[in-house]
Amino acid sequence: MLFNTTHFFLFLAVVLVLFYSSPRVLRRYILLFASYFFYGSWNVKFIPLLLTLTAIDYTAGMWIERTPVGPRRKGLLVMSLSANLGFLGFFKYYNFLAYNLCLLLGKPTRSFFWDIVLPLGISFHTFQSMSYVVDVYRGQQKAVRDPIDYALYICFFPQLVAGPIVRAHDFFRDLLDWHPPTGDDVSQGLLLVFFGLTKKMAFADQFAKVANDYFAHVAAYPGWHAAWSGVIAFGMQIYFDFSGYTDMAIGMAKLLGFHFPVNFRRPYLAGSITDFWRRWHISLSSWLRDYLYISLGGNRKGHWMTYRNLMITMLLGGLWHGASWNFLIWGGYHGGLLAVERAVRGDRPISDKWTWLYPLKAALTFLLVMIGWVFFRAADLTQSRHVLAQMFSKASAHGLLVPWHIGLIALALVLAVAEEKLDWFDRVAKAPALVYASAFALMFFCLELFGVIDAQIPFIYFQF
Amino acid sequence: MASVHSTPRRQSARRLVVACLAACVGVIALDSLLFRTGLYTAILEPDSSTGLFEMVLRRNLDAQEHHGNRMVATFGNSRFAWSPKVVDQRPGPHKYVLCDAGVAGSDARAWYYMIRDLDPTARRYRALVFGVDDYDDEDRFYNPSDDIRDLHYVIERLRLYDVFEFARSFDSRELQFAALRGGLLKGIVFQNDLHAFLADPRKRLEYVSLCDRFRNMWVYNFEETTNSMAGLEIDWQTLKVTFPPGLNDDQIATVNSFLAHQPEPQIGRIAAFQRTWYGRIIDRYRGSPTKIVFLRLPRGPIPRPDNLTHKLSSSIREFASRPNVILLDEHAFESLEHPELFRDGMHLNREGIRQFSYMLEDEITRVLDGAGK
Repeated sequence: MLFNTTHFFLFLAVVLVLFYSSPRVLRRYILLFASYFFYGSWNVKFIPLLLTLTAIDYTAGMWIERTPVGPRRKGLLVMSLSANLGFLGFFKYYNFLAYNLCLLLGKPTRSFFWDIVLPLGISFHTFQSMSYVVDVYRGQQKAVRDPIDYALYICFFPQLVAGPIVRAHDFFRDLLDWHPPTGDDVSQGLLLVFFGLTKKMAFADQFAKVANDYFAHVAAYPGWHAAWSGVIAFGMQIYFDFSGYTDMAIGMAKLLGFHFPVNFRRPYLAGSITDFWRRWHISLSSWLRDYLYISLGGNRKGHWMTYRNLMITMLLGGLWHGASWNFLIWGGYHGGLLAVERAVRGDRPISDKWTWLYPLKAALTFLLVMIGWVFFRAADLTQSRHVLAQMFSKASAHGLLVPWHIGLIALALVLAVAEEKLDWFDRVAKAPALVYASAFALMFFCLELFGVIDAQIPFIYFQF
Repeated sequence: MASVHSTPRRQSARRLVVACLAACVGVIALDSLLFRTGLYTAILEPDSSTGLFEMVLRRNLDAQEHHGNRMVATFGNSRFAWSPKVVDQRPGPHKYVLCDAGVAGSDARAWYYMIRDLDPTARRYRALVFGVDDYDDEDRFYNPSDDIRDLHYVIERLRLYDVFEFARSFDSRELQFAALRGGLLKGIVFQNDLHAFLADPRKRLEYVSLCDRFRNMWVYNFEETTNSMAGLEIDWQTLKVTFPPGLNDDQIATVNSFLAHQPEPQIGRIAAFQRTWYGRIIDRYRGSPTKIVFLRLPRGPIPRPDNLTHKLSSSIREFASRPNVILLDEHAFESLEHPELFRDGMHLNREGIRQFSYMLEDEITRVLDGAGK
């Protein structure tokens, strides 16, 4: 049940009606049932796995809280993390490791292959679950007493399959002290849902057609022009796809009285790679910062250890996306860029002031990020090398983006800069009814003219 | 306290309801501005289904200005192939002016909407002539009600009040939804065309302008191929076909799909479709001097024997009892049913079209004169 389908909107409408027409005491159960139904609609076989992880971390949280600081408490944490990483490792990385082991041992590459289907959203709910256990271990979060509450935290349908990765204190603050959404919340939530849908269907899916075509027939599109347009198309696709999904998730949560943190802050306007990672998939980058980078020592142990920590964090961040050398290289590429920036900048904080130099810095950052996407999108290393070689070749052929694609990018750029400077989104959400309605009418019109309606292109991050 | 809280809540609910309604009106207004005012029609791809349909409609509206009340419009798909040029070049007086309003791939549903705009008073033509495959109803492998091409043909002609009725005329729920959606928001139907326009607006405008100037001339002067199916044989017992050498895949495919196919179960869907749409056309002309004429087109290079399918009804014959409906003799064009006169399994070739054009004019003149007496 994709977010951009009629079925999902019917499901959402039924959930909203049931939720608000039921006594408060039943509402958590309704959300829990709806969330399992939503997850089961993809593949009911994975519900037991979800329940198992939920039970393990719920129990671990309770035990860790009861256990005084010491090796036993740490042991419980390690057991919980091992269970989470064990499941994640088995489902996500087993075949990758087996393949590479076969290569090392000189065996046929499918000797140890198992036909494993990756459970939907496992990377997201595992990280969410792990953050809870670590927070309890660190004493930053009280263990949740009610298993229903904890189960809902793990499987809440708006963010179950592709995030944002919500921290326990944010979720339980809303759940345990639930208030009906305010008028502004509802206005903003609805606007976010349809803004996200427009991003997905009118922008991401249109760029997906170009990117999918290019990466499926790389050899048929020689020259730097085609290569850059294919890569930029993917850069646009992944941003609009993922941020569109996130907007919808945040919007739906708002309609249900929950407040999720922002996950994207116009990342392609970033003035540096460091800035980019403060704007892109914020819930993951802050997770990596809080639970990995800082645990490794962060920047407290000298320059070289900082660079090492950045590199390890980004390598693992890359690997989180998928089991392939390409994701590892993508992570390493960003880790390397972050380390270089850190070395050049020293300990000075990054500046987000818009000076005359800012557009140049933003353009350079954009180009560097686009180069990184080659590894993210290409089927394998051979294709990555080929695309990069084409991007920097002198051969020219026709590009794949037509004028209206450029128009969509220009429109998005104008809206992004306006949001950065004027905060128009919140203003529209609170504006008089006619202004608010005009925004919806324009979004619907955009969907009508540019929305990919008859082909369902899945959200990219659903595969992670 | 309750009222203090409920008032802002009620206000915000009212604001949302007003906003949702205004947004719906807004998007329909934007859609109408672009697609219901003729603004977009001016730049429509001339070779698209809609573009072809509109071109035929415009050509016939133009013809009305020149030919007064002597006009006879013919409606059909690509099988109803006659040549206005051949008719015009034929020596002797032409009592009636035959105008071709047929569009390849179209059907009675599409013609209904065309006729409604072509002849709003239902009095502009001496006759409307419909070419049909058979006077008896034979269900084939496709369901005519579920031909979504009709949405693309008639999209410019659909008015807001038509939308629900038009959508209901499809059998499948999915297509009903697609037709409803497209009828309400035409931009969805024009999406691909709009994207192609935006990809190279200048090229489109130049082509539209070229077509505006020359297209009618191209169509008028078009000459069908001289290829023929001479040598074609079909054993109707076994449905085994002997093809003459040198045929292409399309020629072979049309023989197999149109002639040498196993009979389909007869469930009455073609009868229902024809009763509905020809019925609506005939109803429009009730009390009008315009005659509604049906003719059976030449059935193919080797006609399919009638006894292959047990046909349950004859919707076209049922219409003959209506006062202004005329059925041409169903054997009138049988003399054309020879492989030498067909370019494939279903379409006449150049010589076939020439002979058919003469016979058509003669038959129309004969029955209209007869009806006048």
